[in-house]
Amino acid sequence: MNTTNELRKNIKSLIAEKKVDLFLGWEKGSLPLAATPLFVTAEDQADKAIFDVTCGNNLSIYFTKDKKQFEGRKVGIAVKGCDARSVVLNILEKQIKRENVVIVGLPCNGVLDRKKVLAKTDGREVLELIDNGDTVIVKGNGFDLQLNREEVLSSSCLACIYPDAQEYDFFIGEARGEVPNEGRLKEIEEFQTLSSLERWEQTRAEYEKCIRCYACRNVCPSCYCNVCFVDQNDPRWIGGTSEYTDTLIFHVIRNLHVAGRCVECGACQRACPMDINLLMLNRKVAMEVKDRFGDIAGLDINGKPAMSDFKEDEKQKFIMG
Amino acid sequence: MNMVRLDKQKFSNFILELSAEYTVFAPGKVGGKTEFVPIRSEDEIDFKTLVTDMSPKGIFFPSSEVLYEYDKQGIRVPEKEIGKPIAVWGMRGCDSRSLLMLNKVFGSAIQMPEDEKFQDPYWKEKYDSSLIFGSACNTPLSTCFCNWFGGGPHSREGMDVFVVDAGDSFLMEPVTGKGSNFLRELTCFADSTEKDEAVAKKLASDAESSMAAPMEVTDLGERLNDLFEEAVWEEISAKCINCGACTFSCPTCHCYDIQDEGKGSRGKRIRVWDSCMFPIFTMEASGHNPRALSSQRVRQRVMHKYSYFPEKYGEFLCTGCGRCVTACPVNLDIREVLKTINAYNKQGITNG
Amino acid sequence: MGNYCIPQQMKVERIGTEDPTRTLRTYDLSFVNDSDREAFKYLPGQFCELSIPGKGESPFGIASSPTEEGFLRFTVNRTGSVTNEIHYLRNGDTIGMRGPLGNWYPVDDLKGMNVLIVGGGFAFTTLRSLLIYLMDAREDYRDITVIYGARNPDLFIYKDEIALWKQRDDIRMHLTIDKPVDGWNEKTGFVPTVVEEVAPDPENTMAIVCGPPVMIKYTLPVLTKLGFSDERIYTSLERRMKCGIGKCGRCNIGSKYICIDGPVFSMAELKNIPETV
Repeated sequence: MNTTNELRKNIKSLIAEKKVDLFLGWEKGSLPLAATPLFVTAEDQADKAIFDVTCGNNLSIYFTKDKKQFEGRKVGIAVKGCDARSVVLNILEKQIKRENVVIVGLPCNGVLDRKKVLAKTDGREVLELIDNGDTVIVKGNGFDLQLNREEVLSSSCLACIYPDAQEYDFFIGEARGEVPNEGRLKEIEEFQTLSSLERWEQTRAEYEKCIRCYACRNVCPSCYCNVCFVDQNDPRWIGGTSEYTDTLIFHVIRNLHVAGRCVECGACQRACPMDINLLMLNRKVAMEVKDRFGDIAGLDINGKPAMSDFKEDEKQKFIMG
Repeated sequence: MNMVRLDKQKFSNFILELSAEYTVFAPGKVGGKTEFVPIRSEDEIDFKTLVTDMSPKGIFFPSSEVLYEYDKQGIRVPEKEIGKPIAVWGMRGCDSRSLLMLNKVFGSAIQMPEDEKFQDPYWKEKYDSSLIFGSACNTPLSTCFCNWFGGGPHSREGMDVFVVDAGDSFLMEPVTGKGSNFLRELTCFADSTEKDEAVAKKLASDAESSMAAPMEVTDLGERLNDLFEEAVWEEISAKCINCGACTFSCPTCHCYDIQDEGKGSRGKRIRVWDSCMFPIFTMEASGHNPRALSSQRVRQRVMHKYSYFPEKYGEFLCTGCGRCVTACPVNLDIREVLKTINAYNKQGITNG
Repeated sequence: MGNYCIPQQMKVERIGTEDPTRTLRTYDLSFVNDSDREAFKYLPGQFCELSIPGKGESPFGIASSPTEEGFLRFTVNRTGSVTNEIHYLRNGDTIGMRGPLGNWYPVDDLKGMNVLIVGGGFAFTTLRSLLIYLMDAREDYRDITVIYGARNPDLFIYKDEIALWKQRDDIRMHLTIDKPVDGWNEKTGFVPTVVEEVAPDPENTMAIVCGPPVMIKYTLPVLTKLGFSDERIYTSLERRMKCGIGKCGRCNIGSKYICIDGPVFSMAELKNIPETV
């Protein structure tokens, strides 16, 4: 069964039956390695929709990006496992109402990290991509390269446990179920074995690359403060330079702001034009939240996000002992 | 002075000689990304990358630059760290052209030519004494669209020396007096032969014909002015997430903010790259924001590049390098935007 | 070569309070260096960047007139970190200043003309500069009419001077507040309405308008309706100017930069610029 065809049918009937006014999906982009967001408002536009390894964008950002656009509108959205968690989180945080969203879950086998592909082609431009399941073929001027899927998937996908939407109205295709992904914390565990000096050097080198374009923040479905702390200038909380003293503070505070709210979709890391490993700290914080509060962001629509809930038996060193 | 030939075996000598007089910047790898970095030897240069991830504008207009330091004693402009002037190796035609555009803003005081207070001393100090070695593109990328705006893969604009990679040698052609003066002093060159020149010609015509046909841009500015109030901007900006990946990777975007950093009576006044994509860019102290909507900000960026700048300075503020196309996290392709504008008519129907 | 980034050092000579909540204060500044003073030439309508180390810079219209010697005047509304810091200054303290920046009201074209000055709230600063400038060569101009509106009587600036101007028979002063309050004997209602009511004949008259965006937006059409041609209406715009010399891009509207092509624009110019009011 072809997922893309099923998705198109589904969008068409949702629009035709007026169950949604707008459907958020993906269409083929102008570059072979990246799909682009698609806003469907009429049946005939549904044929543009696709679902494949290039559909990396977490479309739930649009719920919070321009809330007015969605006022009084029913919106359908195509989701991967991580995207569905963002939608759930948006619902739990009262950004959207469950009854106004139609969630269409898709079986996700991971999405590409463009930068990993380009590392494999040694900088040569990719003009065509063929997804063969376990392998991916990329073609360009004078080269034709077969790559193992794992080599070019987004790091977030390689560590993903929940590839299927846990909350949905429709599910297209066959669910993959939970993926154990036992090695998912390997990177963090290795990092933790380093000396504090080595950890500092590694962290500094990573965040020194930042140019403050805020692509990471703006593609993040959990980053939707009306005025971000970096934009406040009275008082100004952090400096505006791209020195690591400023950039590190930006990223660390952002990490803490999305603690218990980061769904590890990896959108930030894929969006970063400077190839910063943003996921590691996010994952570390998510791991801590799970250990301390037993919560995984956006997994349970009946749950409460860890940071907006309080239980009497929670570990609280300085209050409850 | 005609074209000269530098055998690649002698390239490391050339870099040594160049380094003696200049601080040399060239495309290099930093982490997984490519950008222009100071180099000391041939090994540090990335010859493979055609368009670096970050543009070279940062060499002359750094992402953060100290304007001055202050303390109780007063104000001091910091001394230049590197005493030598700057030379850049491997600058593509799109990028060298972008420097000419930026120089119209920062350097030549076009607003009031007789008044030097309208010139930017920080830019001029670095740019005026620089030596730019351009690099011809023999295999343009699919994202390249320099040919839309009068550029081309073998364009020489903004270069002091034009360089063609001819396989086992670099063919160099001086473009400015500064370029030919420098070449004249060096000994590692051989005169070019007729064959060399034929090779360069062939590479140029092959590169040009490999590029997709350009979009017609002659009345783009007028069309944009005409469509200013139209709903097309909402359509175009719908998927934009208002990050600054496009403006920061762009070789011609040059808007900046001025910020103070310090504690007590000591500190620095710094200028940092800013982006018209950010809501705070135009936010006033009263809380009023003349460009509060995403569609207004996207419109501003497009209008500034293809209507306002041409009206003020006589050319588009875009060299078609394609960096914004690849950097955009949602694949909002500027070429598609311009095509939409070209196809839009006021009845609200987008053709094609 | 010169460096536009470096502020001149100014000394606070006098501080005045304009309103009961003390959010509006007026500062008279003098030059610390004689050479700066000698080089500083300005006309009404121009602005300066006032600069506080560690906080930054903000643009302010010059409220004094070049015909007033010995000081430069600025009125500062306390809204952000820079203005907050300026409000902490005491007499004798120093402050940085860059300027004069931007263009000016068309003072030469006003000669031999009637002048209508329309202002609102604390944007009356550069209009004060203009008014003093005109009065210091009163015989060069014909009738002068001033329409000045504020939300309530407390929010007029330069109240002492207004009282003096009202006593003069060579200026027609019209003050208005948004809503009636006890003890107010002047006009009530928004500025555009008062303009429609009391504006002089457009024949041989130039109108100069400066105020909050909403006031400008509704006043300009009234002037047009009264018969003022686009070349006879001037207004001053404001954006978040930073560099002040047309580079940083913040105040770009259309092909203009408010900091160098403005802040003063004729209505004829405004018609060709998008996003103005």
